[in-house]
Amino acid sequence: MDRAIIHLNIADFAVAVETNRQPALKGYPLVIAPQGAPRAVVYDMSNEAYRQGIRKGMPLTRARRLNQKIKILPPSFNRYERVMKDLIKETMTFTPLIESGTSDGHIFLDVTGSGRLFGPSVDVAFKLKKAFKKTCNLDPIWSVATNKLVAKVATRMVKPAGEYIVGPGEEKAFLGPLPLLLIPGLGKTALTRLKDFNLFWVFQARALTLEQLHVPFDHRAPVIYDRIRGIDPTPVTARCESHSTIRADHEFADDTNTANLLKKALYPMIESICHTLRSRNLTGAAAQMILTYSDGLQTAATVKLAPATANDMAMFKKCIPLLNKAWTRRIRIRHMRLICKKISSPQVQADLFASRTKETKQADLIRSMDRIREKFGRQSIRTGLTLTNTPPYQ
Amino acid sequence: MTAPSACQLFVGTSGYSYGEWIDAGFYPDGTHSSNMLEAYTQIFHTTELNYTWYQMPKAPAIERMCAKVPKHFKFAAKLTRTMTHEIKTGEWQKQVLLYRQGIAPLLRWEKLLCILIQLPPYFRRTVHFRQYLARLLDALSGLPVAVEFRHDSWAKDTVFSELERRHVTLVSVDVPALPGLFPRLDVITNPELFYIRFHGRNAKGWRSGIMQKQFDYDYADQALKEWVTTLQTAMMPQARSGAAFFNNHVRGQAPKNAVRLMDLLLTEGSRQKSWTAPSSI
Repeated sequence: MDRAIIHLNIADFAVAVETNRQPALKGYPLVIAPQGAPRAVVYDMSNEAYRQGIRKGMPLTRARRLNQKIKILPPSFNRYERVMKDLIKETMTFTPLIESGTSDGHIFLDVTGSGRLFGPSVDVAFKLKKAFKKTCNLDPIWSVATNKLVAKVATRMVKPAGEYIVGPGEEKAFLGPLPLLLIPGLGKTALTRLKDFNLFWVFQARALTLEQLHVPFDHRAPVIYDRIRGIDPTPVTARCESHSTIRADHEFADDTNTANLLKKALYPMIESICHTLRSRNLTGAAAQMILTYSDGLQTAATVKLAPATANDMAMFKKCIPLLNKAWTRRIRIRHMRLICKKISSPQVQADLFASRTKETKQADLIRSMDRIREKFGRQSIRTGLTLTNTPPYQ
Repeated sequence: MTAPSACQLFVGTSGYSYGEWIDAGFYPDGTHSSNMLEAYTQIFHTTELNYTWYQMPKAPAIERMCAKVPKHFKFAAKLTRTMTHEIKTGEWQKQVLLYRQGIAPLLRWEKLLCILIQLPPYFRRTVHFRQYLARLLDALSGLPVAVEFRHDSWAKDTVFSELERRHVTLVSVDVPALPGLFPRLDVITNPELFYIRFHGRNAKGWRSGIMQKQFDYDYADQALKEWVTTLQTAMMPQARSGAAFFNNHVRGQAPKNAVRLMDLLLTEGSRQKSWTAPSSI
């Protein structure tokens, strides 16, 4: 049976969320970018700004040159994530198979199995569009196709508004007359290679056999061969973190690449996670760091926390190398997320002849701090790392 | 109105691409969605295109669809929602032009049964909506058009005579007997074509907002027999052609009821095998 995949895409998601808060900005050129950072780049822009030549990732100074009076708003990732969560909540009524980014306005749904319960996929997509409009005042582009690739191309075709239904069996005919750069998964390198052969359109590239594609693309040839034919067997998989994780976020007022600032921001995040763990009598055995840069790109790294811990200081010690591991770009960092994973109950059996180690002393100290905070508030006692502007960690 | 000598009746379903019709036994196991139209044409000679309500029809896709069906097959294409449910003043005229371009292959291939204008329940007989409907029908002039009302305020002789003057088909609806719904009528306003839509009589599910409840209904033989009588005595003698579409698609009830209606219309109970009946009489 053919799959029924719905793609919902809120064009210029960050702009849509911001203009919902400030409706007076609707219809005007608008850019979302951190203003304080010297080499800030455009994170998102309105359709009006796009028409003036402004693009994502463009240096803000250049965008300003294109339109000196352009309105610029700082990005608010937490807000975008909250809205995304609300949208996903709406979609969960129809299927558990939902794939989305954290704050990009893209949602894929696999409704193959829920037809008998909720009706044809086209109707589900239409209902979701109406629900998004009603609950969040956001108007998504929607498409229905038999796989993610075709569904994504279909929404690209009608951006910034509209819908596209690609019937089963129509994939090849639908993609044929389109430019190759619209096909997801064909990166810059692949497109340049195809351009070298004077291939700009999907139907032109299809003339090449798999063997011929092997010459310029080697092991990537089968993927490219399938993609230009609208074949995409990848399933819709939930990419959001499972419920068994605890996370903390920090968004920098101004994008930064100062190591000490990052480390200083990291400690309260760890405190927050460990406090949650301790209050639930749990420990975490792994941590993941996700860094979001000025240009919107992300890098991530994971580390094992052995032994599993809920100790602020022990976790901080492990997370400093984790930060360095995740920090692979020279671009300024805008947002930092720490996710504690593999959460489980701590070993109940205590060591019979345990002596007081540095760790046990630290644990006692943290317990005392917790008690003080419970009584007098969170800010009543803090570590030196988070108190002053002096570098907390050398 | 003189009675034409013979009436060609098309029986089919509203849409044909339903995965659950495989489970219901209408389509053979393992039928791919892309092959459903082909399988459908083995049984029926007409269908309603539902997707054109959600999305403006695109000529290349319609062209490919026309190429897939037998010569005698006809499509009834729903008018897109931007002209019925989400009307934007000053924009709908452009939508009509786009729609005309989209369905052009149906005319070229002589596959168009008619354009179905399905109006929403809130489309009441007010001055505003009357004027809009008149302008819409003007904009669609030259095309065979059928209008389905979902509000009983349109059940007026003046409405019927205006449709008659315009040669526009009034859609007869079989719906639950609920207040406010357009009543079950057998009025013929266009001697070229009458049009019946069987939505089912699920009064409980009708206003649930869930398609699977609204159209979950299995017509009993008695109800279909009453329609056979109405068709044979009141409707078919007055028109050159007619169409009957079953919209109770849930669990494959639509094709089952459609075939049963054809059975009853031919010789009641003479058929043994299901799903082999021709859809034109």
